[in-house]
Amino acid sequence: MGESNDDIDQMFSNLLGEMDLLTQSLGVDTLPPPESKPPRAEFNYSVGFKDLNESLNALEDQDLDALMADLVADISEAEQRTIQAQKESSQNQHHPASVEVPDFSGAAALSYGANVTAISVSQYENDLPPPPADPMLNLPLPPPPPEPLSQEEEAAQAKADKIKLALEKLKEAKVKKLVVKVHMNDNSTKSLMVDERQLARDVLDNLFEKTHCDCNVDWCLYEIYPELQIERIFEDHENVIEVLSDWTRDTENKVLFLEKEEKYAVFKNPQNFYLNNKGRKEGKETNEKMNAKNKESLLEESFCGTSIIVPELEGALSLKEDGKKTWKRRYFLLRASGIYYVPKGKTKTSRDLACFIQFENVNIYYGIQCKMKYKAPTDYCFVLKHPQIQKESQYIKYLCCDDARTLNQWVMGIRIAKYGKTLYDNYQRAMARAGLASRWTNQSTVSTAPPATSAAPSTGLKTSTPQANGQIPQAAHSVSAVLEEAQRHVETTKDKKPALGNQGPGAPEVHQLPKSSLPPPPPVRRSSDVCSSPATAARARGLGGGFPAPPEDSLPPPPPPPPLDEDELPPPPPDFHDAPPDFVPPPPPSFAGDVGSALPPPPPPPPAPEAARPPRVALKRPPAPPKRKESPGPAVGGGSGEQDFMSDLMKALQKKRGNMS
Amino acid sequence: MAGMKTATGDYIDSSWELRVFVGEDDPEAESVTLRVTGESHIGGVLLKIVEEIKRKQDWSDHAIWWEQKRQWLLQTHWTLDKYGILADARLFFGPQHRPVILRLPNRRALRLRASFSQPLFQAVAAICRLLSIRHPEELSLLRAPEKKEKKKKEKEPEEELYDLTKVVLAGGVAPALFRGMPAHFSDSAQTEACYHMLSRPQPPPDPLLLQRLPRPSSLLDKTQLHSRCTACRGHPGARSPCVWAPTSRARALPVSLPPIHTACLQAFLTCVPALGPPAQPRPTPVMPQHCTCIGPDLFPVLWTRWLDSSRCLMQQGIKAGDMLWLRFKYYSFFDLDPKTDPVRLTQLYEQARWDLLLEETDCTEEEMMVFAALQYHINKLSQSGEVGETAGTDLGLDDLDAALNNLEVKLEGSASTDVLNNLTTIPELKDHLRIFRPRKLTLKGYRQHWVVFKETTLSYYKSQDEAPGDPIQQLNLKGCEVVPDVNVSGQKFCIKLLVPSPEGMSEIYLRCQDEKQYARWMAGCRLASKGRTMADSSYASEVQAILAFLSLQRTGGGGSGNHPQGPDASAEGLNPYGLVAPRFQRKFKAKQLTPRILEAHQNVAQLSLSEAQLRFIQAWQSLPDFGISYVVVRFKGSKKDEILGIANNRLIRIDLAVGDVVKTWRFSNMRQWNVNWDIRQVAIEFDEHINVAFSCVSASCRIVHEYIGGYIFLSTRERARGEELDEDLFLQLTGGHEAF
Repeated sequence: MGESNDDIDQMFSNLLGEMDLLTQSLGVDTLPPPESKPPRAEFNYSVGFKDLNESLNALEDQDLDALMADLVADISEAEQRTIQAQKESSQNQHHPASVEVPDFSGAAALSYGANVTAISVSQYENDLPPPPADPMLNLPLPPPPPEPLSQEEEAAQAKADKIKLALEKLKEAKVKKLVVKVHMNDNSTKSLMVDERQLARDVLDNLFEKTHCDCNVDWCLYEIYPELQIERIFEDHENVIEVLSDWTRDTENKVLFLEKEEKYAVFKNPQNFYLNNKGRKEGKETNEKMNAKNKESLLEESFCGTSIIVPELEGALSLKEDGKKTWKRRYFLLRASGIYYVPKGKTKTSRDLACFIQFENVNIYYGIQCKMKYKAPTDYCFVLKHPQIQKESQYIKYLCCDDARTLNQWVMGIRIAKYGKTLYDNYQRAMARAGLASRWTNQSTVSTAPPATSAAPSTGLKTSTPQANGQIPQAAHSVSAVLEEAQRHVETTKDKKPALGNQGPGAPEVHQLPKSSLPPPPPVRRSSDVCSSPATAARARGLGGGFPAPPEDSLPPPPPPPPLDEDELPPPPPDFHDAPPDFVPPPPPSFAGDVGSALPPPPPPPPAPEAARPPRVALKRPPAPPKRKESPGPAVGGGSGEQDFMSDLMKALQKKRGNMS
Repeated sequence: MAGMKTATGDYIDSSWELRVFVGEDDPEAESVTLRVTGESHIGGVLLKIVEEIKRKQDWSDHAIWWEQKRQWLLQTHWTLDKYGILADARLFFGPQHRPVILRLPNRRALRLRASFSQPLFQAVAAICRLLSIRHPEELSLLRAPEKKEKKKKEKEPEEELYDLTKVVLAGGVAPALFRGMPAHFSDSAQTEACYHMLSRPQPPPDPLLLQRLPRPSSLLDKTQLHSRCTACRGHPGARSPCVWAPTSRARALPVSLPPIHTACLQAFLTCVPALGPPAQPRPTPVMPQHCTCIGPDLFPVLWTRWLDSSRCLMQQGIKAGDMLWLRFKYYSFFDLDPKTDPVRLTQLYEQARWDLLLEETDCTEEEMMVFAALQYHINKLSQSGEVGETAGTDLGLDDLDAALNNLEVKLEGSASTDVLNNLTTIPELKDHLRIFRPRKLTLKGYRQHWVVFKETTLSYYKSQDEAPGDPIQQLNLKGCEVVPDVNVSGQKFCIKLLVPSPEGMSEIYLRCQDEKQYARWMAGCRLASKGRTMADSSYASEVQAILAFLSLQRTGGGGSGNHPQGPDASAEGLNPYGLVAPRFQRKFKAKQLTPRILEAHQNVAQLSLSEAQLRFIQAWQSLPDFGISYVVVRFKGSKKDEILGIANNRLIRIDLAVGDVVKTWRFSNMRQWNVNWDIRQVAIEFDEHINVAFSCVSASCRIVHEYIGGYIFLSTRERARGEELDEDLFLQLTGGHEAF
């Protein structure tokens, strides 16, 4: 034991050291800035923790949570491959014993262990009085030891070598990770761990899970440069870390998470982009309307051929002269190879055109309030610049359109020219994701009914094991991959939603507890462990429902969710749109009725106190608080054997914090 | 049977004598005379003929061609009466498959046997099967312009003619692969060479030839077969200034042809049956104004060059041994798969290349550089893959290979080998270079610095001694732009770097002493800009490529660039002029062109042969003018000629004078179209009761009809992998034969 502990210890501190470096290297986002403390309401579901919560430093903990959550995901991913079989068997063993402790039942044995460590970090911190100067100081107080500890402890020990193994793998991978602060559209922020392989799509999926939004295709990551007054949509296939690493240390740039209908406008109404200029004389109305079949064929024609077709786009635009606030009008044309203009006295035939810019090295941004800043003729500007340029420079090109419609056409046209078919692939993936989400919500309401139908636990376990992997595989672009993905999404969404929701009173979540325990284990387990006494009944029920119902039950046909029609999308939105986007829509209503009393319902309550501005309240990052609490809870459990390890870990963290601040 | 006689020799039945010529339609051919009745079946007649000939031979491919009716008598169970054959019928008993010379998209000539009796559509399908080109529906045959009889004779070098006439393909079976090629090609060395010709890109053409070949100078020139006639503006006899003259594109025509008047042309075309050449000796159209501007010598030119896909070659006046062009006619390429159809991909690439080189499809300068770089790359790959192959490729032994070989020798011979070796092991460059940083208000020029290039970072110091300390500046080249600034004859080897930084792009020039130094640093910069280091495996090849290019500049590009590729051309540099359209030849000197091509080349240098070809085709397809076939038409109710562009998904009405798009109609909105063959008018109805009608001026309206029908047919193809062709549907859509 001791030996392995040492090893783990070392691993962990190495790991942390590495993270340290990495985070330092990118000062920008490493830590969320001070935020207002989450409202008490969010925490009050676990009464015993109240004091604790008060003393918590929300920020730190949040970060820690984020880190740990991602770590766990990673570890479990790595482990999953190698020891799946073992795990299964071990779980099977555990299962009967751990009925009250749902975590075990989940496949996330590993993550469970990891959790313990994370949790214990804070705990030990308290035990060994940390240097007062440290920000960590005011971290968790010794939490009231929950009952199931002994079991957990056992489990933790049992998993020690697995963790070790996983850590080794993790180390091998040497994946760079950053904590990125994402601004939600309610002015709140969320910090997430993003590893360097993750694409915007992955991050979005992550955020979907954390926010319970409707997952429609319009959701995007959005970068804004306050200094340059430009902003743009992250393409789903872009590597997030790569983009962020171009930012300077002291940047004011932000990443937002919001809905932009421009993101995939071309796929929703291709006729606005592809048929627009040709028939100027046919009134615009005819163009606006197009039946789905024609749209489809138009898209097929434009994006599915041997080469994609870039919309024909040409017209007079104003170009800002380098270094001046004057604008010159020129006739520009968009071609697949770049933007061209017609030199003075020449015609617009191909041979006369002069190249204005090619897209290889530039990104396209919307210009904001250029009229004011640069005396642009209108505010409908777009900007082309090398992604690394962060300050005003003559190498940034500003173009100004006459109206919003033209602007959108140009921006979309340039994106099509720049990204080509990738854009369409992204869209199809997003559609698949959105389709799943809506399906799930539909399903979940339905599935609340059959919680009791119990299948053999083993099946439940089996299905859950593969789901441990909360990460989305990268760069899976082929159709089959998409499908697969879709399928996986079915499962993961199922898992995660509940998991997140469980801070809320959501009924469905409870059912799915077992599965949910995997990906974001902390919240799930915690709720069950910590709240065991109050929630026993609910939990028991939840277990019953969760286990027995393998994905097939709750989601009848996982594979079917191919890209759905836009028509299918709308259904979910209407419901949610009005509701706070961050919620898992179905849970609150369904649950409020039956279980509400058993589990103090966190999210729904908050709105009540602050009724004045319901959306706000609702939006407060729900996921974060639960995680935090969880850490103290299990901590106790993990504690006994691993003091050294934990304290070292803690120290490393402190060091890091110190460095950061 | 027919021919019952009395003892006196009088025929007592209603039989009569039928004379049948044996052989192809040669009036002096031997003939046999048979005794037949109206009830004789064609099959019986055939038997009799064979009996009469008394020669042992495989007659199975033979059939009877009725010359007056321009018709094959293929229904053996039909009687002579049913066909309407009387004693005066001129019948020829000849083979249905006859040799023709095909000019492939890659401009090489190939002899093979084509069916003269099946509709062209089927004949083309058979040819494509032989050549292993999938999706034959996209291709068709054109009449070759008639050979120039004039002066040029001495110039034409003996052309290699590939022969596939002896290859017989088993029907119905997909050709199996054998030794990497369809089995029927692997029979002999000759056919194997032929397959290589088909499946491998050809070396770039001689720039001189490029310049000589006619190119369209305006949109009008791209309309079927005709070009603008400048000579006869304001011709007194014409009501309006004459626009048309036989184009230079139809290369058959002597340059000095008299102009044609629009009115005459219309009259001429009107009197020609819509479906191609007439059966009988060609008609002599009665021209208004008794003008002679269209003489009989012009007739063949004015028949539309695309053959009619619903009729057989024989019916269209093609004779055995004639030259025909095989081209992709419909610009809608289905399911291009480099793995399964190398021939198709290569031929398509070749067609695309010639299309660009001859400026049929316009592109911008930047695009042309990419095309040139791809050609260069493709050429390089295909040549290197062919080492040791057919020795007869003197034409192909390209200069680039030679240059590369030279270089290798050079490098190995000198001490730089060590340097290179070191470089590949330790990805670092250190050297004294002169550096220039352009700034406002500075007069400083190049200054010597000690420069260290490690991984992707460039650092420079005042001197070597200070190297361990802090550099004057450090630049991470990732994402930077690398622009060569080289003048070989002036011994100037500069690298211009545009390095992005948060503040903007910073410009810096590195000046190297010689080519080798330049090549190494340049290659390093290129890799670094893509985020790779000199440890990358492509480093060495990149260095070589740069050196090769430099040497090309020194030799080939230095002069006018118009050297003909003589016998000793291999010693000479590759001519970049062979890679770009002639108008860029005029615009740039070779030494300007070379670095730009090289610059573009760095983005494609990693592609494999088929990827590069595919990329070329894709870039070609994304040109705005890609795949549009032009016809001059007169819209109903309009008083002037306009141009109709036919693309794979739409019809485009284009202003003839300005070239602006007036209106676009998409096929997806099309309800129906009709052709009135008598008044040569095409009427189309679109959704929402939009009706369009036009008459065709520059070509027969069959051309327009076939294009529209063809594209609609192509759009019905499914991904379902069906290679089967719905031939009836195609003929229905494009035929119009029912109209006759």
